[in-house]
Amino acid sequence: MRITVNGRQRDVSSEPVKTLLHVLREDLGLTGTKDGCSSGDCGACTVMLDGRVVNSCMVMVAQADGASVVTVEGIATGGQPAEVLHPLQKAFSQCWSFQCGFCTQGMLVSCYDLLQTNDNPSREDILTAIAGNFCRCTGYQAVVTAVQQAAAEIRTSDAGAQNERA
Amino acid sequence: MNHPDYIAAESIQQALHLKQVHGEDAHVVAGGTDLILRMRDEILAPELLIDLRKISLDRISKHEGGMQLGAYVQIAQLLAHPVIKETYPALAEACRQFAGPPIRNRGTLGGNIINASPAADLLPPLMAYDASLVLESISGQREMPLDQFLQGPGQTRLAPNELLTRIMLPQILANSATSFIKLGHRRSMAIAIVNVCTRISLAKDGSVEQARVVLGSVAPTVIRSQESEARLKGQLLSEDLIEDCARLAADDATPISDVRASSEYRKRMVRVLVRRALTANQSELSGGIAGA
Ligand SMILES: Cc1cc2nc3c(=O)[nH]c(=O)nc-3n(C[C@H](O)[C@H](O)[C@H](O)COP(=O)(O)OP(=O)(O)OC[C@H]3O[C@@H](n4cnc5c(N)ncnc54)[C@H](O)[C@@H]3O)c2cc1C
Repeated sequence: MRITVNGRQRDVSSEPVKTLLHVLREDLGLTGTKDGCSSGDCGACTVMLDGRVVNSCMVMVAQADGASVVTVEGIATGGQPAEVLHPLQKAFSQCWSFQCGFCTQGMLVSCYDLLQTNDNPSREDILTAIAGNFCRCTGYQAVVTAVQQAAAEIRTSDAGAQNERA
Repeated sequence: MNHPDYIAAESIQQALHLKQVHGEDAHVVAGGTDLILRMRDEILAPELLIDLRKISLDRISKHEGGMQLGAYVQIAQLLAHPVIKETYPALAEACRQFAGPPIRNRGTLGGNIINASPAADLLPPLMAYDASLVLESISGQREMPLDQFLQGPGQTRLAPNELLTRIMLPQILANSATSFIKLGHRRSMAIAIVNVCTRISLAKDGSVEQARVVLGSVAPTVIRSQESEARLKGQLLSEDLIEDCARLAADDATPISDVRASSEYRKRMVRVLVRRALTANQSELSGGIAGA
């Protein structure tokens, strides 16, 4: 089986029914993705599969054969280890959007997905996007604040880039 | 978990052929959101998994005034479809209240039907819209109304050599309103304690021409309340009639007590939710605010 993970082609020879979550963590060493409930409920294992958020514990690796996966490690830019954090990652740390951090990577991936299509999300948009991500210690308000701050930063830098081109 | 073989079928013929040869030992994989848990919990130990993702069973198209939906249509795809929202709003509403985005991006319509959970969210609206199912095997296909297909929790009339390929939604009468209401412990990521879907279609004289009162999570399968549907037919909607029907629907419910709620609570909630759903239908049909 072959999966493109964070832009890199990876050959996987595990059992077809092994979950994508466990392949990422155990076979590919990408432990940013967390195993919370293993039943699709908590969202700690959220990744992008062919451009859409999924629970990697609810995907057998054979279902992802030929697909492209983005994990939390792939959200930052500039190679691995990441040199440039994504605006969302910066905002999460600036706004104290996590304490224990176990749900954070799932939140990041869901919000990353949201910002692909919505650069000015409302509180309701954000809560809808993270409806499948449970936080049991910090709560959701600081996540909303961070996502809106990151969106504002992205809008400003996009506008800046446009001005430079003009 | 056991160690099944895994084949991503290249064509519907290949999938049907594998089903013919392996029967109940082969399980179909659509999104896998029910299947993976059942395999992990060792409720299922298939010898072969047949993945349907390469077969184009994910189309949504118009058909004879109604619509035809491929079995592999995902919940998120239904939710985003403007014609579904316009023509079968209760189905769109059930999709909106379904799990959260990651599960909606994987779970399919066909999986929800074949899994045949009494709490499945898409079954009440599909039944209220008189959906029928196209079941295919290598020897041909047959069509069966959804309300005859469900036999019990996880039990359907799908034969071991068959696949569900399409779901047919007929054209709905002009003067209709439907309402889907789900009661869960939270707004998302919740399995229904009770879910109901009602549809009222009025004749020209304003009396009820067709009524569907569908109840979920309160019987071994999603059911239609025969008593309340019969009571509605030919009548003019009124507060008293609605109260009567809500009571009859609660009488038709035979819920169990489980981790989510007690049987008594569920029965009471059927009455409350059916009353609310029919009231929403009434106000939508009389030009008031659209139903839930
Ligand atoms: C965290 C979580 C939350 C959930 N929330 C909800 C919810 O809010 N509401 C709700 O209703 N459900 C919910 N579910 C249940 C599940 O997601 C749905 O039932 C979903 O629609 C199943 O679709 P699937 O494609 O994933 O099915 P799969 O798991 O792929 O398949 C389910 C069963 O159907 C069979 N099958 C699938 N397609 C076909 C076909 N075309 N022909 C023959 N057999 C077939 C499979 O062999 C299997 O036995 C939830 C599940 C999880 C894990």
